[in-house]
Amino acid sequence: MSAGAWVRRYGGLIRAAWLVDLQYRAAIALWLVWGVTEPAIALGIWWGIAGAGEVGGFERADFARYFFGLALVNQLTIAWDSWYLDQWIREGDLNHRLARPMNPVHEAIADNVAYKIRGGTVVLLAWALFAALWPAVRLPFDPGRWALTLLAVILAAAMRFCISYTTGLAAFWTTRATALMQLHAGISLFLAGRIAPLALLPPAVVGVARYLWFPYTLAFPVDVLTGAAAAPAQLARGFAGQGVWLLLWYLAYRLAWSRGTRRYGAVGG
Amino acid sequence: MTPPPRRWLRVLAALWRVNVSEELQYRVNFVTSLAGTLFSLATAWLTVSLFFRHASGIGGWTYWEVVVLLGVFTALSGVVEAVLRPGIGQLAEQVRSGDLDLVLVRPVDAQVLVSFRGIDIWRITDVAVGLVVIGYALVRLDRVPHLLEIAAFGVALAAATAVVYALWVALMSLAFWFVAVENLWVLFDAVFEGARYPVSAYPGALRVLFVYLVPVAWTTTIPAGALTGRFRPEIALASALAGAAAVLLARLLWRTAIRRYTGASG
Repeated sequence: MSAGAWVRRYGGLIRAAWLVDLQYRAAIALWLVWGVTEPAIALGIWWGIAGAGEVGGFERADFARYFFGLALVNQLTIAWDSWYLDQWIREGDLNHRLARPMNPVHEAIADNVAYKIRGGTVVLLAWALFAALWPAVRLPFDPGRWALTLLAVILAAAMRFCISYTTGLAAFWTTRATALMQLHAGISLFLAGRIAPLALLPPAVVGVARYLWFPYTLAFPVDVLTGAAAAPAQLARGFAGQGVWLLLWYLAYRLAWSRGTRRYGAVGG
Repeated sequence: MTPPPRRWLRVLAALWRVNVSEELQYRVNFVTSLAGTLFSLATAWLTVSLFFRHASGIGGWTYWEVVVLLGVFTALSGVVEAVLRPGIGQLAEQVRSGDLDLVLVRPVDAQVLVSFRGIDIWRITDVAVGLVVIGYALVRLDRVPHLLEIAAFGVALAAATAVVYALWVALMSLAFWFVAVENLWVLFDAVFEGARYPVSAYPGALRVLFVYLVPVAWTTTIPAGALTGRFRPEIALASALAGAAAVLLARLLWRTAIRRYTGASG
């Protein structure tokens, strides 16, 4: 199929997803509130601990920018697909999706794009509002850094999508696919930097985290945005990590999809 | 006409019996439920430890005092998961689908039936896990609470449960106004996050939110504080009053809300 056809196809899918989301805008607003609570509380606790001084090189304003960045990046990269897939596979909703002349993954990607544009815009507007009143969360004007952040966020979003989707596909083999996702969320509290900047974790833990995908899903894009990762070596290392892990998770998705659908077909007879 | 309480107690007992015997068929669920609880306890505990790597106190509370509070949080979460989420947590869906009609025509108090008809028995173990954590933290604090403190803790914990229940009723009653919001329970989860740490830990806007606006942080701070001697036992009286007031308010709100309900199944 030509590139133009794909663009038209995705345009239609994203528009449809956008309109569906519009119906559920109140529900989406609640998920958003839920999503920002965790970073808000973490910021509150660190704010109190930092007091007038600093903690591991972080002053109050650094914590504020980090957790605002985290709330934004999380909204732009979050993927719910494992929950949907688990339900579709268990309850058979996957069947009519398989019958369409297009891999269901494209619809899922379009859903994610629409959802993230909406959620990300709301968080950005809220941030702008806060920044007007509160100097601590203002970021310097730096289009170059923002462009790098955009790239890091897109890679992180792709990675989290592949992780979520692949974990959801585990439902072909187990009824506890969502438990796997909860396990992943629990680990990412620490290793992805959701509860604290990685620099505040025990060095041994950070040493392990570096070789896993977790830091590249959240902490790295946030560090690019706030300027904590600005040295060329840091950036190169971060983008390389994102690239390698995205590739590995993409391959895991391909494997799970081809094996899983074959197995599913056999069960459905 | 409201029937005598003894009757709805019998109805609830019957419903719970059915629930429990259904659930007993799936005993593996007990293991996975317990594993889930222990995992979330572990992450919460590690989070506290991470904060204390860089501080000697959170809001003036020492490490083991915060762990006592974490035990209270775990126990309260157990009540939420075992009773409130399977019960009142389903209200939005019942309003949307019109299933609430079937509840309203029954000769039992609708609020009681909606609130307590379901139970997830495995999650009751969370309450036990929470109490064990509290006990262990007290040992590490090298503190044996005297009888009056234990009594105050019991009253405060019961009052906190009442407040949490009232909060569920208040939030879920919004379903009568906003019918299309099926994930209303998310609001509770978001707010209850604030109960993980003592009230004194929150600065600025968060303090306004969790301590005054939605006073959820008190639900763990007061029982934990009563047990560790941070508050005098008299605080139990105040919390009992607050608990009673919360339940009464929830009742009023329910009455107002249910009047708006016109049924959906026709």
